[in-house]
Amino acid sequence: MKLARWGLAAMASTCLITPAVAQDSKSVTVVLTEVLDVIEPCMAARSDVGRVVLQNINETLTEFVPGQAELQPRLATSWEQVNDATWRFKLREGVKFHDGSALDPADVTFSIDRNKNAGLGCETGGKYFGGMTFTTTAVDDTTIEITTDPASPILPLLLSVLPIQPDSDPADTFTTSPVGTGPYKLVSWDVGQSLKVERSADYWGEQPIVDGATYLFRTDAAVAAAMITTGEADIAPNIAVQDATNPDTDFSYPNSETSTLRIDGLLPPFDDRRVREALNLAIDRDAMIGTIFAPGVEKATQQVPPTTIGFAHDLKPWPYDLERARALLAEAKADGVPVDTEIEMIGRINIYPNATEVMEGIQAMLIEAGFNAKLQMYDVGEWNRYFVKPYPEPRAPNLVQAQHDNAKGDPVFTAFVKHHSEGVHSAMSDPEVDGLIEKATLASGEDRQLLWEQMFTRVNDTVIADIPLFYMVGFSRVGPRLDFKPTIATNSELQLSQIKFR
Amino acid sequence: MGRFVLRRSLFSLFSLFGLLVLVFFLSRLTGDPAALYLPVDAPESVRQAFREARGLDAPLLAQFGDFLVNLVQFDFGDSLRRQRPAFDVVIEAFPWTLALAGITMALVLVAAIVLGALAAMKVGGIFDRISSVISLTAASAPDFWIALMAIFIFAVALGWVPTSGTGTPWHWILPIGVLFVRPFGLILQVVRSSMITALSSAYVKTARAKGVRQRAITFVHALRNAMLPVITVAGDQAAGLLNGAVVVETVFGFPGIGKLMIDSILQRDFAVVLAAIMLTSLAIFLMNLLIDLTYAFLDPRIRY
Repeated sequence: MKLARWGLAAMASTCLITPAVAQDSKSVTVVLTEVLDVIEPCMAARSDVGRVVLQNINETLTEFVPGQAELQPRLATSWEQVNDATWRFKLREGVKFHDGSALDPADVTFSIDRNKNAGLGCETGGKYFGGMTFTTTAVDDTTIEITTDPASPILPLLLSVLPIQPDSDPADTFTTSPVGTGPYKLVSWDVGQSLKVERSADYWGEQPIVDGATYLFRTDAAVAAAMITTGEADIAPNIAVQDATNPDTDFSYPNSETSTLRIDGLLPPFDDRRVREALNLAIDRDAMIGTIFAPGVEKATQQVPPTTIGFAHDLKPWPYDLERARALLAEAKADGVPVDTEIEMIGRINIYPNATEVMEGIQAMLIEAGFNAKLQMYDVGEWNRYFVKPYPEPRAPNLVQAQHDNAKGDPVFTAFVKHHSEGVHSAMSDPEVDGLIEKATLASGEDRQLLWEQMFTRVNDTVIADIPLFYMVGFSRVGPRLDFKPTIATNSELQLSQIKFR
Repeated sequence: MGRFVLRRSLFSLFSLFGLLVLVFFLSRLTGDPAALYLPVDAPESVRQAFREARGLDAPLLAQFGDFLVNLVQFDFGDSLRRQRPAFDVVIEAFPWTLALAGITMALVLVAAIVLGALAAMKVGGIFDRISSVISLTAASAPDFWIALMAIFIFAVALGWVPTSGTGTPWHWILPIGVLFVRPFGLILQVVRSSMITALSSAYVKTARAKGVRQRAITFVHALRNAMLPVITVAGDQAAGLLNGAVVVETVFGFPGIGKLMIDSILQRDFAVVLAAIMLTSLAIFLMNLLIDLTYAFLDPRIRY
């Protein structure tokens, strides 16, 4: 009897519990599905770091807004090209870092040097500025000239990924308390637990509506989604497709990723165009949408999403035509192409949801078409051996599962590395494509756009370098009190200043 | 007893050293950290500079020599991923796991011993059958499933507790509840069978013949003698928890050492792996020592 009373008392007391809920003030709680282990701004090209740091704590000189034709000013108010290799940037006046120091050209130089410091291994520097040297000259307190070798006609766009840090940050180690010029400043970072930012009263721009944010980390996407349902958090920017079940709160958005299989066109039988065409025709992409790929993905035609300048709109997705694929293989075989050679499919575990199932499905389709396909799924380290040059020698002809992100709107972030003979991910060699890439990289305006279009058309129609699969989508859950719709940019940043309340 | 403790400590020190050496070389077999840390677009020159800056380009034996020199000074180097001393990273995570494991095991032992003893008092009775079903189910249910179901029922549907995280005592209820299930099922079974053996022994029959009350026979005479196998299994379960309740820590966002170790292995963050293994090995050594001493306390025939 006494036990029963204790039990009832315990039950009653639990009913009084109010779990920690997202603040009812103007603060928001964001739950991320990656545990943030660094908050160094030069790592902001990593999406988990970028979502917290980019344009919230640390800003860039310029800002690329998907869907807007013009590059937007941010910490630079204007820019002009002085000569082929040099650009002059006018810095915004009156901008102060959160520590009170004024933004000046030395901070820009420091931020560039930091990203080029190989000892630090900055993600942004490694991803966007590899193979490029920088020279900076301070013209006056608010003007800086930046010279690159090789010359970059899109330097202002490139600088939209470079967060500016004060030169007081530690030069040889990652900072754990980033100081920026952004609308929010860091309050605390409890590693593995939470991170808090609050509105910076001294921000140079318009004060945002959200007055602060708490970031929580839950690696299980189902838990992150549940936290929005219970009101413990307001936004889960990256949840799994199987958890996006509530049409009132869950949004899909194009995440700027393109899934492909790279064809090793340097080895037989893939050095024969008919075989590469047969590979593309043998895959039933429609059967994969809404089954092993999320509903909402679009069939891809090239490595970049349609929002990119120079996107070749005339290219059409490959149809599923098993008979034609078989006929092409038979034709190639008759001409002595060794189409029976065992080909290796190199998959990367968890490169995207259902990555293994996707490769198993494609393997079955290729076998049905007559290919002798063997599948290997690797973790990222082993997969990298096949994905990045120098490729292992000797090797079987392979198809490498890949996913490429280009949210910056220009193919320069894609073309050389993927399609140039010397590109570190390239498994093709076509002098005409090389020439188009070299010309387009140096061109500007309409010329640039046309050259990129020609390049993509040649790569995907004449050469057939890849098996394009899908333009991928991400899923977010947004709590009912917020007025916020995820966009293509949500994959790499989450600007708190763009969030409003209902 | 003092000599026993000293001898065990020395042996454990050798074992620990051997373990660290083994882990040092095995972890290097997993591949080049530069392949994981740098963007896939990074040129080879950047990769090489990354290796040089962290001493990863040196011959393996030279790296091992540096490791031994630093080990003597209790310096495991910096975490590649976090760029902070690896030992600091580990020592921050360890108290979370220690608290989670300690509270869970205390609750498990109390519940399993009481229920196991009661079940053994009437073998085949309704209480015995119910506890057998519960313990077998608990011992075989997968952690991640229990965790997600618990969140769905108690946090989302009923709203009684938070889904996850830390910060208030309520945040500990679900993780402890989920961690409780498996060791409870196993230890309950061991207590039951051990108690059945003890309750059928001659000294229990003698006690009954002398008119000692059943409750005293069960919880005083039989239980003490039935505890030796229970302690062995409990130690094994506690070691599992100390190594990290990876699934529970992951699902509930607990910043413990299990998740840290798994992440560090996957990220090839060698310094953190070595520091974490050393700390958990030390904890397990201390726990095993405690178990040995408890044996001697419970059974006067055991002397070291």
